[in-house]
Amino acid sequence: MNFPENLRYTKTHEWISVQGAKAKVGVTEYAQKEISDVVFVELPKLGTAVQQAKTAAVVESVKAAFDIYAPVSGKITDANKALESNPGLINQSPYADGWLFELEVSNASELNSLLTAAQYLEAVEQAPKH
Amino acid sequence: MTMTLETEPSKLPLHEEHLLKGARMGDFGGWLVPLFYTSIMEEHTAVRTKAGLFDISHMGEFLVEGPGALSYLEKNLPRRITPVKFSQAIYMPLVNDQGGMVDDIIVYRMAEQKFLIIVNAGNIAKDFAWFNARVPRDVTVTDMSEDMGLLALQGPLSQTILLECFGAFYKDLRRFHYKDFEGGVIARTGYTGEDGYEIMIPKTKLKQVWDILFRVGEKHGLLPIGFGARDTLRLEAAMPLYGHELNDEITPLEAALEWAIDLTKHEFPGSTILKNQKLKGVQKKRIGLEMTERGIPRQSFEIQKNGKTIGSVTSGSFIPTTGKNIGMAYVKTAEAIAGNTIDVMIREKPVKAIVVSLPFYKRSQS
Repeated sequence: MNFPENLRYTKTHEWISVQGAKAKVGVTEYAQKEISDVVFVELPKLGTAVQQAKTAAVVESVKAAFDIYAPVSGKITDANKALESNPGLINQSPYADGWLFELEVSNASELNSLLTAAQYLEAVEQAPKH
Repeated sequence: MTMTLETEPSKLPLHEEHLLKGARMGDFGGWLVPLFYTSIMEEHTAVRTKAGLFDISHMGEFLVEGPGALSYLEKNLPRRITPVKFSQAIYMPLVNDQGGMVDDIIVYRMAEQKFLIIVNAGNIAKDFAWFNARVPRDVTVTDMSEDMGLLALQGPLSQTILLECFGAFYKDLRRFHYKDFEGGVIARTGYTGEDGYEIMIPKTKLKQVWDILFRVGEKHGLLPIGFGARDTLRLEAAMPLYGHELNDEITPLEAALEWAIDLTKHEFPGSTILKNQKLKGVQKKRIGLEMTERGIPRQSFEIQKNGKTIGSVTSGSFIPTTGKNIGMAYVKTAEAIAGNTIDVMIREKPVKAIVVSLPFYKRSQS
């Protein structure tokens, strides 16, 4: 499975890509496989303040809804509206076209708590197998 | 994103076959079952357009036999059993003394005084106790669940595949009828809204039958189908699922299952309460709903009308073939009118839906 080196990860399977004060967030390849076909996405509203490790978006498969947590606290500056009509982008392109939202990082020190690609890979390998 | 951890569920007899076919396994009421093999989308479509094979060996089977078997069932079940012929099966709820549903079952008449009953996996212990609490001395109820396996072949091409595998002997099998097969039966029944068969056989013969169905079925597009698509298919066909639309507190009248009970027959458990409820009318009713705004209804979501609670969702899903978000629910009888606009509370927000008549899907008759 592909976990790009330039991203940071959470144990709850979100990725974050930091560019200056802003950061894009999505779910990992492992997560999209676990969720299976994404059929519905609920995105955060622009301007919403989100807190680290609290629900910021919801991704649903045919069978279940999954909360997506904000990897760090911040204010929502953009959301990937293309997902509303084409939620399958999350399965097809979890790290690019399937991004979920962008936020302005409010506390950069929170980034230190996130996992590197290698640490995330290790966490995934310890996860229970189906 | 959070994921749930699994406990130690029971394995299906064909567990290894499911893994070979690439199944994603998951928990279903204490059983480790295939959730999907390729995707729920693809599998749902296969059953609607071609054919699919389900392993539903988790289901329970009871044998009821003895000189008093007919009168015992006649006294305790909510439909007339005497007119059921030896080659026939009949669907009904199992009703408790309060008029609630213990389970929903299919009763096969095997002989004058011999019946086979298929029950839901999650209710095996409860049903077995229910039957035994009422059983007279000249009748025995045997739980065969450990020995029997069950496959469901469903979809418009299921007859073609079945006949090619097992011969023209099964050609004139009518809906809710069965014929003997390899120490078990093949019945023209199912839980998908499509034409199809359920094949009940000893577990020892399960793999052989599974293999031949795929060997022959492959060229017809037969796919293995997981429990994900089983749920979207039965939901679309508006078939109730125990633990969702049915439980010990809900009556058959509320569940729109009046067609599956017979209030004109002599007493059976709960019959007085049901007759009374029929006279007075039910307070709540099972309905179908279709979302008109963005959102997927899920079990236990509240339903409101003008800010007031009127009921709750029992099942809901995105439907692969239509792209619609639909559900079943119980709402107050006064609100259970097709076309009524209601709000489903999704993550504390009202999302609009309309009440629609059931089923959502009906196959075209061939």
